[in-house]
Amino acid sequence: MKINRRTFLKGVGGALSLPLLESFGAIGSPTPTRFLVVGNPLGMHPDNFFPKTFGQDFIFPETLKSLEWLRRRMTVISHTDHGMVSGHGRELSFLNGILPETAAAYPEKNISIDNLIARRTGSRVRFPAINAALERGIRMSWNSNGVEIKPFTDPQKLFDHLFLNLSASERKTRRELIERNGSILDTVSDQLYSLRRNGTTADRVRLEQYETSVRELEGTFADRENWMDRNKPTYDISEHFKDYEVTVENRYNAIFDMIGYAFETDLTRVATIAFPNQLSYTDVDGVTRGYHACTHNGKKPEIIKELVNIESFQIAQLSRCLQKLDAIQEPNTEGTLLDHTVVLFGSGMGYGGTHSNRNLPIMVAGGGFKHRGHVNGRGTDGNNMPLCNLFVTIQQRFGIEKDIFNTSQGSFDLAHG
Amino acid sequence: MGKAELTGKLGLWAIAASIGWAEPNVLEQHCSECHNDDDLKGEFSLTDLGTGPTEDNVFFWEDSFDFVASGEMPPVDEVDITETERAALVNFLEDTLRLFHERGQPAPYVPPRRLNNRELTNSIRDVLLIEDVGTHQPTANLLGDTLFAGFDTHGDSLGISEFHIEQYIESLRKVVNGVIFEGVQPAVQRFRVPAQRMEFVGSRGNDRFEDAHRKFDSVDIIDMRKRIYFDNFETVPTSGNYRIKIRGTAIDRAIYDEAATGTYHADPIRLRVHLGDRIRDFDLPDNEVFEIALDEWLVAGTRVQLSYPTDGLRILANGNFKFQFRIAHDYLEKHNPELHARVIRDEVPLAKFRSTAPSHWVHWVNYWQGPRPRLFDAEVEGPYYSEWPATRQQQLLGSEPQVGNAEEILRPIAERAWRREVKRGELAPLVKLVESQAPKLGTIGALKEGIVAVMVSPSFLLLNAPELSPADRFAAKFSYFLQSTTPDAGLRQVAAKDLLKDYAAVRDVVGRKFESGHATPFMEAFPKAWLQLDRINFMAPDPDHFPLFDRKRLSGDMSAEAVRFFRHVVENNLPITEFLEADYSFINADLAKIYDVDGVPQDSVLRHYTFADGRRGGILGMGAFLTLTADSLGTSPIHRAIYVMENLLGIHPNPPPADVVITEPDVRQAKTIKEILAAHTADETCASCHRTIDPYGYAFENFDPQGGWREAYTMQIAKRPGREELQRIAEEDKRLADLGLPPLPKPWLNKPLPIDATEKFRNGESYNNIVEYRQLMKTPTNRHRFVRCFVTKLLTYANGVEPDNYWEIEKLVQRSAEQEYRIIDTIAAVIDSPLFREERLDLPEATAVLAQTPVQ
Repeated sequence: MKINRRTFLKGVGGALSLPLLESFGAIGSPTPTRFLVVGNPLGMHPDNFFPKTFGQDFIFPETLKSLEWLRRRMTVISHTDHGMVSGHGRELSFLNGILPETAAAYPEKNISIDNLIARRTGSRVRFPAINAALERGIRMSWNSNGVEIKPFTDPQKLFDHLFLNLSASERKTRRELIERNGSILDTVSDQLYSLRRNGTTADRVRLEQYETSVRELEGTFADRENWMDRNKPTYDISEHFKDYEVTVENRYNAIFDMIGYAFETDLTRVATIAFPNQLSYTDVDGVTRGYHACTHNGKKPEIIKELVNIESFQIAQLSRCLQKLDAIQEPNTEGTLLDHTVVLFGSGMGYGGTHSNRNLPIMVAGGGFKHRGHVNGRGTDGNNMPLCNLFVTIQQRFGIEKDIFNTSQGSFDLAHG
Repeated sequence: MGKAELTGKLGLWAIAASIGWAEPNVLEQHCSECHNDDDLKGEFSLTDLGTGPTEDNVFFWEDSFDFVASGEMPPVDEVDITETERAALVNFLEDTLRLFHERGQPAPYVPPRRLNNRELTNSIRDVLLIEDVGTHQPTANLLGDTLFAGFDTHGDSLGISEFHIEQYIESLRKVVNGVIFEGVQPAVQRFRVPAQRMEFVGSRGNDRFEDAHRKFDSVDIIDMRKRIYFDNFETVPTSGNYRIKIRGTAIDRAIYDEAATGTYHADPIRLRVHLGDRIRDFDLPDNEVFEIALDEWLVAGTRVQLSYPTDGLRILANGNFKFQFRIAHDYLEKHNPELHARVIRDEVPLAKFRSTAPSHWVHWVNYWQGPRPRLFDAEVEGPYYSEWPATRQQQLLGSEPQVGNAEEILRPIAERAWRREVKRGELAPLVKLVESQAPKLGTIGALKEGIVAVMVSPSFLLLNAPELSPADRFAAKFSYFLQSTTPDAGLRQVAAKDLLKDYAAVRDVVGRKFESGHATPFMEAFPKAWLQLDRINFMAPDPDHFPLFDRKRLSGDMSAEAVRFFRHVVENNLPITEFLEADYSFINADLAKIYDVDGVPQDSVLRHYTFADGRRGGILGMGAFLTLTADSLGTSPIHRAIYVMENLLGIHPNPPPADVVITEPDVRQAKTIKEILAAHTADETCASCHRTIDPYGYAFENFDPQGGWREAYTMQIAKRPGREELQRIAEEDKRLADLGLPPLPKPWLNKPLPIDATEKFRNGESYNNIVEYRQLMKTPTNRHRFVRCFVTKLLTYANGVEPDNYWEIEKLVQRSAEQEYRIIDTIAAVIDSPLFREERLDLPEATAVLAQTPVQ
């Protein structure tokens, strides 16, 4: 049967013939937990993001309004950050707490939490992780080599990557290409050996980076061969592009829908979506200026309004996606897809208007956690909670039984089950 | 630990005693009050100096030397220090640093780094002996490079991942496929393209603009955003040489006012031919048919398109071209009232959509008479080849390649790619690859795999790979520094014969590289990196307040001004101090509007212009600097100060501590930036650094966010709200007053605030305005700092890592001074320096004895 987006939507909340699960051994195996990260590089206007009171019964601030349906099922944390000094360029530590220039001091460099989890969950699924944004990324995803992961920035390419099946002859060509590329890597490896033998210690660091890259590429070739003959789930996003104008909104709708469906069909278990600075948000209601320019609003109310519109738009996109996830009942277990998806929204910058990288806007939802409403991360000592504490809690949720992650000093109290 | 205990801890005595000085006393007497372990002003304690410089603390010594030498420390207003004491202190710090560095540092060493994309595409081009990587955009899939302070050559920032490697393989295959192919020679075809077959990209032939500007024998390009393609030759079918002829003319150059269209009558009306991303521009003559003739190697899949490049025609409304049609209305109303009346009578009432307002753009599309190219027809002929297989293929493979000759074929390619001689037997893995692929892919296909493998190799992708001989390594570094590509055989030979051993020889080659234009990549890339021109659109001036900047894309003009100035200094081998001290720059009519100067020809060409008022000239007056350091609505003296310090004077202030609360700028309040920032001088934690930083920036306060001159702050003045809004505000104020809170700000009542661009440096020097500030930048101290900073930036660009040998840089500054700071001589001195050559630093005999004296 052809499952297009229309039937997918129709099925929401009602009976839907279940899409075929992608992963090996899907039947009878425990329900997977997924990880969705949504981030921006400029933080949030604090007055409109943080609720005025702590606990469960806060009034939803302007930016978070679209999430009101998640009351008691989400946690907003204030006074948590990575202790970074002010300025742009440090927001890229959002998911790891470490800047690239100091990454060398850590055994896994500045690996970000999404990649750590993808490494854990990735071997069971076709795509260990999916990273998406529009036009360009915000540099939030980093591998254990200290290199940033480039996101898909074109919904069409993401679609091809996730859902497009190759014809028999394309598969043959692709298989041959993988083989040829494999031969080239073999040849290069032979050469690398003699290079390393001659190199000094200082040389070796970069040569090893090169070598690891070659090895990892060889590894993905093997994975790709395994998956090549298995059909991907069918999906249709054309509806988002039928309108006369292709807007930022319908492009993001398409991205979120694709990722939701990829979770549902177990194509992947980790996804990141970014709202870049350079994107033009002028499709969004009332926005006429650049996103970055709006953060430097000089407190002019009309420009703050534009900024809050952009930020509310980001949250609304997320909310729309979570509503869809929440409408899908997990087979063979309790709860909805949302209950089995850890959702993290946030930024590595506190608020662009002050260039502050303290007091990051952080929101967690789903994942089967017992959510706590608005939590003050500031300890009795007056210090903000290291955001990596939350990442310790999240990694443990994925079965990574370690009680440290990068710059953590403990964990964040968020029970699940 | 307070001051009293410091004496014992501070082991500087040891050095002082060994060389017979007592200056640590001076240091302690005048500096320990603010710089002790309890009071870390400027985040520095005297104990950071340890018992003398070491690898770990030499940074503190260098900073101390710089601050004391400039007279900024100890600050004149706060510390009572005699000139003799100050001079003694400078000598002490200088000698200590010199001794440390001359004691024999390990040879500077530059680790391997990945080629950036710019270097990669140039290198592929030169390895394969072609004009560029190909018009089919084979490298479009590569990841962008991460910059470090503007530099794209920075090793630590140029990461490599499995994703990179895979993209390289894909790109390289595409490039090689555009050079080498099999099969029979394709036949020449001829495509005639009458105007009717010229279509606009992305439209389906129902666009009212386009229909309106078609005649039976021609088509006009009125909208600069649109591109034309040939309906019967949309993409290149087969790789090969193509002859392209296009007939066109320029029309209606000067019908409309320049001010209305934003295009200058004197600017060329240009036709741009896009061959993929290879661009060819032609200036069309007015009203006479001109035939453009191109002869180009085009790769299969290349799109051939035409456009009208102009920075004008975006002046009205929000800058969207369609609103410009209103100019046609205004023109007819004034110059052809009969036609104007007829349109209003006959056409406006028939409009199906949009406004019935007669001046609405939608009614005047048919009457547009702005400057534009008119195209009559075109012809494409190809592919043709001077021989078969094509020459470029034979250059690589020879006329009859065999698998058995794989080593012979690949050797010269690998030597160009790997920047060295290839040893016997070294190509065995590649030969094996070719042999194993030949049964499947055929001889040519297998050899192509070999060529791809040559360039996926770390010896190609990594610069400064360890296997290079010292001579080859030097030649490669030299070539990538100035030419951003792999060294040519000539350069490698000269280096191999030891002919680049001294300054004179290096100077000679550097001079020739610039004269011949080979060093153009450096001339374009270096100023962009050094001046961080990549930041110019990060925070563009607000389009509502600064419409010209947005509508005429002035960020492009400003970047071009900076690069043009740099080229001027190089072409005339001027002193590098010109960047800081010149009273001229290169501006066009648009920049003249921002800079508010007269007498500039009304066109877009950048020309030499001397500023008589002492406010501008050189980098300090450039729009590029002034706008990339500003916010969209306001300016920040701190951002400008930091830019001057870090990029021009080589001073690196500490970033503010993480827990500092930074006040958000509020343009509505009736306060000047100086008043807002008063906190910096009131709060002692901020003040200790900001008293040093801020004087570098306040002088620029007369320059607004786009770099224009202003006599007062006007941004805080807002439009008066309507009556209802005023009523609401009054009620809110009453409510606030009842709560004992201050009323809402009323920005429409604000008066323009005066600008205070006066400040005093901590060494006592002060200025009243930008003119005096610019004079202070010429003091020997600042000039020295600038030269130091410039050679540091050159080394950062050349080595891909910031140099850290203070004393060797100091020697470079001396050598530059000996050559009157002339830029080419300075660049040559940098290349001749041990920091670039990566040679062990000389240990002068005179200091050798001292160096042996055990410290402590």
